[in-house]
Amino acid sequence: MSDSPMLEVKNISFSINQNRLFQNLSFDLFKGQAIHVKGANGSGKSSLLRILLGISSPSKGDIIWHNISKKVFLGHKNVLKNYLTVADNLHLHGLDAAHPEVKSMLQDLNLHNKTELLVGNLSYGQQKKLALVRIFLNTSNVIILDEPCVGLDDQTRKLITSFLSSELNKNKSIIYTSHIPLELSSKEVMVGGF
Amino acid sequence: MLKKLYHQFASPKTYIVLVNKMYPYVFYISLCIYTVALIWGLAFAPADYLQGNSFRIMYLHVPASFLSQSLYLAMAIAAAVFLIWKVKLAAYMIKAIAPIGALVTFIALISGSIWGIPTWGTWWQWDARITSTLILFIMYLGLISLHSSFTNFEKADKFISVLVLIGFVNIPIIKKSVDWWSTLHQPASITLTDKPSIDPSMLYPLFFSMIGFSGLIICLVILSSKVQIFNREASKSWVKDNV
Amino acid sequence: MFIIFKLELFKLRKKLRAWLGPILVFLLITISFPLTIELASDDLKNVFYSVLWIASLLTVMVSVEGIFLEDYEDGTLENFSVTNDSLFSMVLMKIFIYWLLIGIPISLLGTFFSISMSGQMSSLNVALPAMLISTYIFINLFSLGNSLSLNKGSVLGALITMPLLFPILILLGKIVLNANFGFEIYNLLLLMLGVLLLIIVFIPFIISFIIRTHLE
Repeated sequence: MSDSPMLEVKNISFSINQNRLFQNLSFDLFKGQAIHVKGANGSGKSSLLRILLGISSPSKGDIIWHNISKKVFLGHKNVLKNYLTVADNLHLHGLDAAHPEVKSMLQDLNLHNKTELLVGNLSYGQQKKLALVRIFLNTSNVIILDEPCVGLDDQTRKLITSFLSSELNKNKSIIYTSHIPLELSSKEVMVGGF
Repeated sequence: MLKKLYHQFASPKTYIVLVNKMYPYVFYISLCIYTVALIWGLAFAPADYLQGNSFRIMYLHVPASFLSQSLYLAMAIAAAVFLIWKVKLAAYMIKAIAPIGALVTFIALISGSIWGIPTWGTWWQWDARITSTLILFIMYLGLISLHSSFTNFEKADKFISVLVLIGFVNIPIIKKSVDWWSTLHQPASITLTDKPSIDPSMLYPLFFSMIGFSGLIICLVILSSKVQIFNREASKSWVKDNV
Repeated sequence: MFIIFKLELFKLRKKLRAWLGPILVFLLITISFPLTIELASDDLKNVFYSVLWIASLLTVMVSVEGIFLEDYEDGTLENFSVTNDSLFSMVLMKIFIYWLLIGIPISLLGTFFSISMSGQMSSLNVALPAMLISTYIFINLFSLGNSLSLNKGSVLGALITMPLLFPILILLGKIVLNANFGFEIYNLLLLMLGVLLLIIVFIPFIISFIIRTHLE
């Protein structure tokens, strides 16, 4: 963990149609740190993530990123094309299915013999795993995840958690929301509470 | 000082206070002017040598069509203000003006059709100015329906502003269409540069009717904008004091 | 930019029904007109250009319906806006590729039909440039309408696009008139080209603003 924070969030508030979701939220994020955003359903967790990504903007307050090259995001939507094969989908994200690094990742996730299947024919959990491949093979130093382990079995969840830990060890930062508890050493940030 | 002015005018609260003070004056004065203009035009102005008495619908048609374009121009300015400076009041004004704009465009189209029957022999013609005005009417309706189809008001404001600006290309087409194409609709009788080609005895009531009608429509816009502001700022405390 | 072009081309190329379907729709309309109206009658020869314009209008309207919808729903647009500052390049490339895979084939087919209809090669000078330019303009306008109705039905989009289409349709109508009387049409074509060059940059910019607002 380095001394200066990668991200400073200062007193942000967010409201939709004059309904305030959260206000005066502040926290810092350091390199190699994970933040677990917690809150009840509809409290604004996903909205907070979208604000951090730059898609939405807060009603009040500042968000300051320091030295960030790229962020990578996985939300509720998988960014996969159902009518293309697994290999084609990886190609769309700039990943070559024949590359050794990609191959070993696919092998770990048990997708290596399915590269010529159409994504539309994969199960929900398999699609989710494929979506996560893009996250782990990305070179950005901030990973933002919204419910990454929904629909995954216990074994896969432990695998994903171990992958995330190794990302933290590479000095990347992670911000995630998850109703399912993940064994990841993280700081907690509460959202909502109205 | 400019910043102070900006904060004053951009605040809905100040706007409401200002408007509440102005409204009675604007209403009664416009009512007087328009009534005078109508009486003068309908009763005292001489009959046109070609059209007879039917030209008198001009005192409704011309102000209405002038306003239909001016109101759109006002919306376009408000849209630009909203997109550049993010002044919420401007977005409320767009929503307020749109139904009124649709109304005056409708009046212009109907009064134009009625005028057309004795003079042209037909109540509709697909010529440039009439078709473009119809398009303007459809645009007004499109704006109203677009805004009401969104649940998130902030998004709706941005969309409606973009749409107003896109549709703005229609206004020069309407204005200039009678110059560019030789059409059924008569060319402009009153321009900024030339001597008007219309007789003074008909011109003066026309001027007054334009001013009076505009004033009355401005009153409608004021009422509509008040409704919008109270609707959108309903959670603020000063609203409860003023309603 | 070139990478985006290649990826978008890859995506659309593989989605056969997205571009082959519209071309077949166009064929259907242009063939059924002469079949239902007496084949090669004189009336039809004069108005055949209008048949082509209307066929291309309807084809583009049908084909551009899902231009952003799919990417919006599976998160591709969201992902792109996270990794890039603006969606402008993606929108521009999408529209361009739709024109490459749908607009150009339709223009070529339409020109072929108009030559065979009128029996003269001169219709090449009328139909081909007019269709190439007008299909690009139509794709732009319909994409604009569809980007507005991204999360609802497409009725609203059509309502908005309608007023913007009229000037182009009027221009095309004038071209038919002039072509039939043997007048010069180059000035009208240049006018249409001018309109195209104006909107070719503005419309993707406006669309990217609209999509970004949708994503908020």
